[in-house]
Amino acid sequence: MKTTRLLPLAALLLAGSAFAGDHRYTLSPAYVAECGSCHVAYPPALLTAPAWATTMQGLGKHFGSDASLDAKTHREISDWLQTQASTRDKHAVSGKTPRLTESTWFHKEHLNLSLPEKTTSIAQCNACHTRAEQGDFGEGSLKSNRR
Amino acid sequence: MTVTKSLSPIAALLLASLVASAHAQAPARTPVDFQATLLAEARQANPAFKAFSAERGQTFFTATHGNDWSCSTCHTRNPAQAGAHDKTKKPIDALAPSANPRRFTDAAKVDKWFRRNCKDVLARECTAEEKGDLLTYLLTVKP
Ligand code: HEC
Ligand code: HEC
Ligand code: HEC
Repeated sequence: MKTTRLLPLAALLLAGSAFAGDHRYTLSPAYVAECGSCHVAYPPALLTAPAWATTMQGLGKHFGSDASLDAKTHREISDWLQTQASTRDKHAVSGKTPRLTESTWFHKEHLNLSLPEKTTSIAQCNACHTRAEQGDFGEGSLKSNRR
Repeated sequence: MTVTKSLSPIAALLLASLVASAHAQAPARTPVDFQATLLAEARQANPAFKAFSAERGQTFFTATHGNDWSCSTCHTRNPAQAGAHDKTKKPIDALAPSANPRRFTDAAKVDKWFRRNCKDVLARECTAEEKGDLLTYLLTVKP
């Protein structure tokens, strides 16, 4: 009796975290504040741990911008990214400035798409994923599905 | 005895959270506070320095400084308006305090973005004089 009453609660708690398959990602407040200021805070589980480490080491020259952080925030976000990173090969990328938009998985998922007007790069996730800012990339929040 | 014993952990907890919140929230600052700090810095660097100029600030804001970007590339030529990041197109709230009361109220945030954006635009940090001129200009901008 007790267990059955607990189950809905457990489900509710789990719904808040990255759920394999439903494409919702938990984002830490520090990550959103610092890594969501110039662009949408990218889902941490779409790149591998080494790629995030490379990204964090290069923040002084980050895609042509200075995105450097103070030491404390840098460590906090680096550590958090390492716990959230993907362990799968399909999310691995090479290169000095890793782009999650260059993984095998991303290419496969985004084949033959044309960018909406005023969108200059596929990295502007929120141009199509209307709830990207909340970490929600489920099909229900795709722009074409909303029309 | 038992009372004090059971109370003290709670008191310690309350105290700890008070200290923590006081720590997390740096003293509230206003744009005018920043202006005063910058003036002191500018005079320290150059004892002959008189006063900031909104006109110089506006010129600085809209000019390029040897690279492609000016401050106005992302913040627009009208700082009372929302801008957008030149590369990512993400919207940026207005920079003028009259249009956006959260601007120039958080020292860590102000320092961080001056450092970053000046490096991106001027390939160096901005001087106190440049920052003060700019802020003086922003304070003249009406919403
Ligand atoms: C000062 C602005 C700025 C900040 C702050 C910033 N970025 Fe970026 N980031 C950029 C720009 C510009 C690009 C390139 C976007 C493009 O090419 O469309 C970019 C691209 C990226 C990409 C590649 C996206 C792709 O194409 O797959 C990743 C990953 C990334 N940023 C991670 C981060 C992380 C992690 C942080 C926080 C530590 C961060 N960014 C903070 C400006 C910033
Ligand atoms: C041009 C529009 C567009 C842009 C920009 C875009 N996506 Fe997508 N994305 C799609 C479409 C359409 C699908 C659905 C593909 C399918 O189901 O076959 C999709 C699927 C996904 C999925 C899987 C969702 C699911 O339910 O299967 C994820 C995760 C995702 N995108 C993440 C991203 C990220 C992260 C970015 C930015 C770096 C991004 N997308 C940019 C259009 C876009
Ligand atoms: C490439 C785009 C870009 C350029 C160029 C740029 N900025 Fe910014 N600026 C941003 C972004 C992004 C933020 C942070 C987002 C926000 O606070 O809305 C920001 C925030 C700021 C802040 C923080 C203010 C506060 O209290 O919140 C200041 C100050 C600032 N910029 C000054 C400048 C100055 C001065 C220049 C020119 C030397 C400049 N910016 C050029 C993108 C830019």
